[in-house]
Formats: sequence, C-alpha cells, structure tokens
Amino acid sequence: MSAGLRRGLTDLACRALQATLPASLQAWGWAVRFEAASIPDDTKALLFTLDSLCGLMPRALAAHLPQPFASLPSDGASFSKGSTAMPVLDATMRRPRALGIACAIGAVVLGVAYMAIAGAPMRYLGINTGALVIGLTMLALLGRTAAARERWTGGAIIAMAGALLATALLGSEVEGAARWISLGGLAIQPSLILLPVMLVAFCRTRGMLATAGIIAAAVTMALQPDRAMAGMLVLSLAALVVIRRDRHVVVALAASAAGFAATLARADTLPPVPYVDQILYSSFDVHVGAGLAVSGGVVLLLVPAIGGWSRDPNNRATYAAFGAVWFAAIMAAALGNYPTPIVGYGGSAIIGYALSLLALPKLAGVPAGVGSRTSGTPDGSPSDRHLLVAPAWARVWAFCCRQASSRGGAMLRRPLSILNECPLSEVRIAHQCVQLWAFVSPPPPTHPPGSHRVGTGSTPE
Amino acid sequence: MVLAVLLDAGGRWSHGYELARLADVKSGTLYPLLIRLETQGYLEAEWQQPAEGGRPPRHAYRLTASGVRLAQANPPGQTATFAMPRREAIV
Repeated sequence: MSAGLRRGLTDLACRALQATLPASLQAWGWAVRFEAASIPDDTKALLFTLDSLCGLMPRALAAHLPQPFASLPSDGASFSKGSTAMPVLDATMRRPRALGIACAIGAVVLGVAYMAIAGAPMRYLGINTGALVIGLTMLALLGRTAAARERWTGGAIIAMAGALLATALLGSEVEGAARWISLGGLAIQPSLILLPVMLVAFCRTRGMLATAGIIAAAVTMALQPDRAMAGMLVLSLAALVVIRRDRHVVVALAASAAGFAATLARADTLPPVPYVDQILYSSFDVHVGAGLAVSGGVVLLLVPAIGGWSRDPNNRATYAAFGAVWFAAIMAAALGNYPTPIVGYGGSAIIGYALSLLALPKLAGVPAGVGSRTSGTPDGSPSDRHLLVAPAWARVWAFCCRQASSRGGAMLRRPLSILNECPLSEVRIAHQCVQLWAFVSPPPPTHPPGSHRVGTGSTPE
Repeated sequence: MVLAVLLDAGGRWSHGYELARLADVKSGTLYPLLIRLETQGYLEAEWQQPAEGGRPPRHAYRLTASGVRLAQANPPGQTATFAMPRREAIV
C-alpha cells in the first residue's frame, strides 16, 4: 500500500469519525485528525486513526439515538452532552430559508399529486411545476443582491404597488373584479406574486416610502376588489402591530383595514374555478389521498413561520408577517372562492411564496436579507445588536480575511489569542483561521509548549 | 496508566499520540477516557499552536488539580475510584 493511499485512508477515517460525532464532541474529532496528521509514519497514523474510530464510533452513534437510548451505563457520566437526538431536524430548523424552499417544493409536489389524482389536465401540473422553477430561480438570483436590495427596498415596494395599481386600472376584468393580467395566454394574478413579498419586506424596512407603498396596495385591493388580498394585508399588519408597533405600521394597518372594509361592502360573485378554489373541502370528496395531499401541502406553507418563531427569537416579526400572509391566503381559500395557494392550480401563488422566502434569514439568528439594515428602521435593531456582539472567532475570521489580502501576517498574532473564545462547534472555523494565519504570517519563533492557546477543549457553558 | 503518565508530566501539556505510546494503550481506549476525564473536570484540554508554520494545531491535555489528586489516589495497578463499578447483568 502506497504512502499516499495510507494517508488517504487516514483522512477518510477521520472524516467518517467527524461526520458521526455530535456537535458537542466535534473538537475530539479534530483532535484525532490533527494528531494523526502530526504522526510522521503513515502506517502508524492510519492505525492510530482506525483505532480511534473504533473506540469513539459506538459512543458517537449512541449519541445520535433518542435520549433514553443514548446513555451508556458503563460510562458513568453522560457522554453526549447536549442532545443530538434529531440532528437533521435541528440543522434544517437552523436554516429558515432552506426550510422554506423545502416546504415550497413539498407543497408543490403534493399539489401536483392532488391534481393528478383529481384528473386535472396535464398542462396544469406542468404550469405549477414551471412556476416553482421560475420562483426558485428568482429567489436564487435576488437572494444574492442583498446589499442592493437593502438600499432600494422602499422604492421596490412603491414600484410593486404601482404594478398592482396598474393591474386594477388596466388588467383583465371578470365579473367586476380586475385582478389579472394576460401574459402568453396565461392569466397571472400579480397581487399573489407581489403582495406577500411587499409585506415581508415592509416588516423589515419601515419608512415613509415603504409605508406609502403599502397604503397604495391597500387602495388597490379595494379598487380591484380583492377581499382575500385585502385580508392578507390586514392580518399581516395586525401581527406586526402586536409584535412591534410603530406609527408606520399603525398607519398602514388603518389604511388596509379601510381597504378591507371597502371590499366587504362590494359583492364578490366570482364562481369557484375547478382545481383552484374550494379544493380544501372538495379534495376529500375526490379521494382521501387527494385530500391528505392538499391538507399536508397547506400545512407545509406555515412550517417555516412556525419553526422560525420557535427557534429564532431575533427575527420573530419576520416569521409572524410571513406566517400571517400565508395563513390569510389559506383562510381566504377556505372561506370564499379564492385560490388555494401552492397546492391548487395557479403559478402566481407559487412564485409569490418563493419570493416571500427572501425575507427569511438564511441562518437562524442572523438578520434576514431584506432591508435588515436600512437606516431608520427599528425592526433591524435586535439583529444588528446580534451582529455587534458576534463571537470573537467571527471577528477574527473577518480580520484574518482582511489581513490575508494585504499579507500583513505579523499583525495577526494578537487576534490569534482571541480564538480561545471559539466554541466547540466552531472549531473547524477556528482551524481555518489558524491555517490562514499560518499562510499569511512569517514563520513564528519557537515557543515553549502551551504558551499559545488556540482554542479551548472545554465545553463553553 | 494514562493517569500515571499525565501525573508524571506534571504541568506539561501532553498530546494524544504521545500519551497512547507512553501509557501503552490504543487510541481507541485513550480518547474515550480523555473525554470522560475532561467531562468530569479532571482533565484540561486546549488547542496549541504548532511549532512549525503550516502544520495544524494540536489538542493538548494536562491534569487539573482535582485530576492530580485523583491520579495520586489511584496509582497504576489499582482500580480507579472514579470509574463506575461494572454492573452485572440481571436476568
């Protein structure tokens, strides 16, 4: 066996060990890996690693079992400090936007399943799937331009309100309601695409411009008229008033309540459309599987809001607005002849749902992209504070990156000591800092062992 | 034996491979033991900067004050008192 192959196997065994160890023990996985790397003899390094793997793997696997089965009686002490009973679920919940994307895909798949069971035209299935692709593509493209979006959120809300107003004045009219535009032979409902993203953006960016945009949207919903979307405005703004009140939200809520009252005063005589309206009830008449698919898909739409609310206190206003928007859409579909979002036929809601995911942070606890740092917004303050008190290792990492570009390695010695504060779960990043430091700095002088602490092996409590 | 090696090291930091070699135990035995000692507060662990540039950091270990007392109370050849007595199978 060649030396390269033995080193390769050593590395593979280390990676397998690290992949299996729970977060609370990741430091020990790195300990084995680096220790093996320090052994000059390839065979001894491989044997050292394999033996470590054999010794730690049973306990690592036990730590992944549900808690009652995770403890090892012979250990005396709890090995798996910090529960990792459901690591996959935890990892998913820590990424609200990814969770939202998964829920969108799941809901569309369930909706397609419903339509297939109910015998909808194949074209409907294709349109919903195509809308999902378009929505996720737009999400991916817009999600990369967070900085530009922050500056222009207020203007974007105004522009979207203008588009909605144009729909009310110039759009296709059916039974007195002007909610659609015709595009390539398809009737698109712009309010379902734009209003959710307007509301979640408003949640994070408040100002005169954004408030004016929301008021214009409320007026537009009264003009169209559209009770469902007017109700969506009222419910999401009411949620914002409860969670974080300021004069902008109160004014916007008052305008949207007036708009909703106006829609109630006018008759809405649109008949239900097959595979679009009233499917929450009718799907169970078709087949129990179709009913379960519709119900499951509708519940999935709210999962990002529920999960984020419970796991990410810093961004609760965002999750509340997101949840209120889609809960209102579902309630409207349950109470009247309005489109059942995502699971029913219609691409507008699918694109709208994907775009509204822009408001959710990529990582729980981190400010969301949409306007999170726009000046004058009270909403961003908790998240901004979170940034200011970012862990020391994160500041070191940013510092290292800056220094790496200028190759001023000598300046990095002092920040290196800050890595002592690195939590166990971030040892990998700390190691990257150290590697980068080694790259940019001149060879260090010989130090007595133990004179430089790079990180702590003890659990930060 | 691991406790004895750590005790002999005094306040000096030791590394995993060195400990396994000196105590004549396999690394698969060593690391679970180190984890238990560290969890129970008998062992201090830290990452150390490599002496040579470009090398990875290393995890180093030494006994805490309570660990020193434990090691002194359990010289090699005796059953360590911190270990739980093995439970016999009950059928």
